Amino acid sequence: MNIFLHELKSSAKSIIIWSLSMAALAVMYIFIFTGLGSDIAEFQDLMNSLPEMAKKLLSVYAESLSTLEGFYSFVFVYVVLCGAIQAMNLGLSIISKELREKTADFLLTKPVSRRTILTWKLAAAFAAIVITNIIYMCVTFTAALSVKGQFSMKAIFMISLTLLLIQAIFMVLGVVVAAMAGKLRSVIAVSLGTVFGFFILNMFGSVIGEKAIRYITPFKFFDYGYIIRNSAYEAPYLAVGAGFVVLAVAVSYLVYVKKDIHAV
Amino acid sequence: MNVIEINNLTKTYGKARGICDVSFNVEEGEVFGFIGPNGAGKSTTIRTLLSLIYPTAGSAEIFGMDCIKNAPEIAREIGYLPSEVFYYDKMKVIDVLNYSASFYKKDCSKRIKELAGIMDLDLKKRVDDLSFGNKKKVGIVQTLLHQPRLIILDEPTSGLDPLMQQKFFDLLEEENKKGATIFMSSHVLSEVQRMCTRVAIIKEGRIIKLETMSNLTENNYKKFRLEFDSDIQKEHFQINGVSNLELKEKFISFLFKGNVNTILRKISQAELKNIWIEEPSLEEIFMHYYEKEA
Repeated sequence: MNIFLHELKSSAKSIIIWSLSMAALAVMYIFIFTGLGSDIAEFQDLMNSLPEMAKKLLSVYAESLSTLEGFYSFVFVYVVLCGAIQAMNLGLSIISKELREKTADFLLTKPVSRRTILTWKLAAAFAAIVITNIIYMCVTFTAALSVKGQFSMKAIFMISLTLLLIQAIFMVLGVVVAAMAGKLRSVIAVSLGTVFGFFILNMFGSVIGEKAIRYITPFKFFDYGYIIRNSAYEAPYLAVGAGFVVLAVAVSYLVYVKKDIHAV
Repeated sequence: MNVIEINNLTKTYGKARGICDVSFNVEEGEVFGFIGPNGAGKSTTIRTLLSLIYPTAGSAEIFGMDCIKNAPEIAREIGYLPSEVFYYDKMKVIDVLNYSASFYKKDCSKRIKELAGIMDLDLKKRVDDLSFGNKKKVGIVQTLLHQPRLIILDEPTSGLDPLMQQKFFDLLEEENKKGATIFMSSHVLSEVQRMCTRVAIIKEGRIIKLETMSNLTENNYKKFRLEFDSDIQKEHFQINGVSNLELKEKFISFLFKGNVNTILRKISQAELKNIWIEEPSLEEIFMHYYEKEA
């Protein structure tokens, strides 16, 4: 428990900054939506007139752009992008910082097993993204409720919840990479590289319409058009995501417990 | 009773040498020195004992428990001071120490204040504002705050000024009197000589000598320095038991191990101007071992 609290305390500032930034992004778009008011129809026409490829690149579901949930899903892609970077950073740094900051000698000679250390660190990282999502949702939903007119709060909630799921995937990805790597000199370089890699794959996949890519990049696990239409997630992709999380956590334990911690 | 038992411990890093076939015991209440130059395998041995790294072959026991399998249990009774100490930079000293204490199931707050007082450490400062020596002090307090039964020190005095070294050694002596076993590695031999009752000498990953300090310094070796009036043949003293024989103008110096009567008879055959017979410093003995084994 002391490790959990220590980790959470040391990432408190970053949790607040990230969650408020992502919320600000969403709120800004919600206000733009309100500002557009009745002009939204013209905006939808404009988006519809874009070439097909541009629409796919921007992940526009034009049929629902005139509703708040549709408009929200349009900006949410970028919220998720930020969230993925935050989560991967978190996962990478929570494991690698002991080596990078050379505090491994301190922590790993305490009367706790490596398994316990990893468990509390994972718990702290997961708690951090849950807190991020709670802050994000509170701010965003408050803003959404101020919008007059008809919209599906359920759809907005379901779309927002995918942030948590995608963050969980990138967080454990960060953990497993850090567990396997030696000393990571720069966390942000690894996380930005990986996240943008998947994001570009996601845009590329949209354009060529390749189905297989949907299984590869977590950004494609959730089709917001589908969520809005059906108020449901697509089970196969949820399963792939869950499977990856389980696998990554298992590998992290195996590697971390057996790892040699060399002198600085 | 043995506090540490090391059996044929081997650790290899690919082709690079780690340690090879290291075996020795440390008894309860002992102050045990582990000496050798940099890169000889001191830290590798210590890190294996602490299960920071895993042995390639062999095993080690601490308090009769396997140091890998029972690492968390063993760690409860160990205080470890690394050669270079690093703590969470953004935390205050007192928070680091409280975090450290939170791993042991006892109240250490009184002991923290006491130790910080002795070591003259400001608990309110942030870790990244501390000098190297002050960080080392945090390390010392962190090592001793839970009153461990086994204290493991890796190059303990680096970064400490002589006054603090003195205070630290006093602390260690006190802990030792209370029953703590101390295992320290060093290449500064004077500190080993001062503190330790027994030493192991390690070279290129292998233990080359295991000896009580008194045997190493008093009983076995004498350091002779002789001054002559006339020229003298170096070869005159080239007998069994003599080593490090050196001739400098009219001075001859050497280490002698064996029956003192033999050497005194040899000396009496020459016309002396002056004579010094001393206990050799550990450095000299140490160099002697290294040269002989090389």
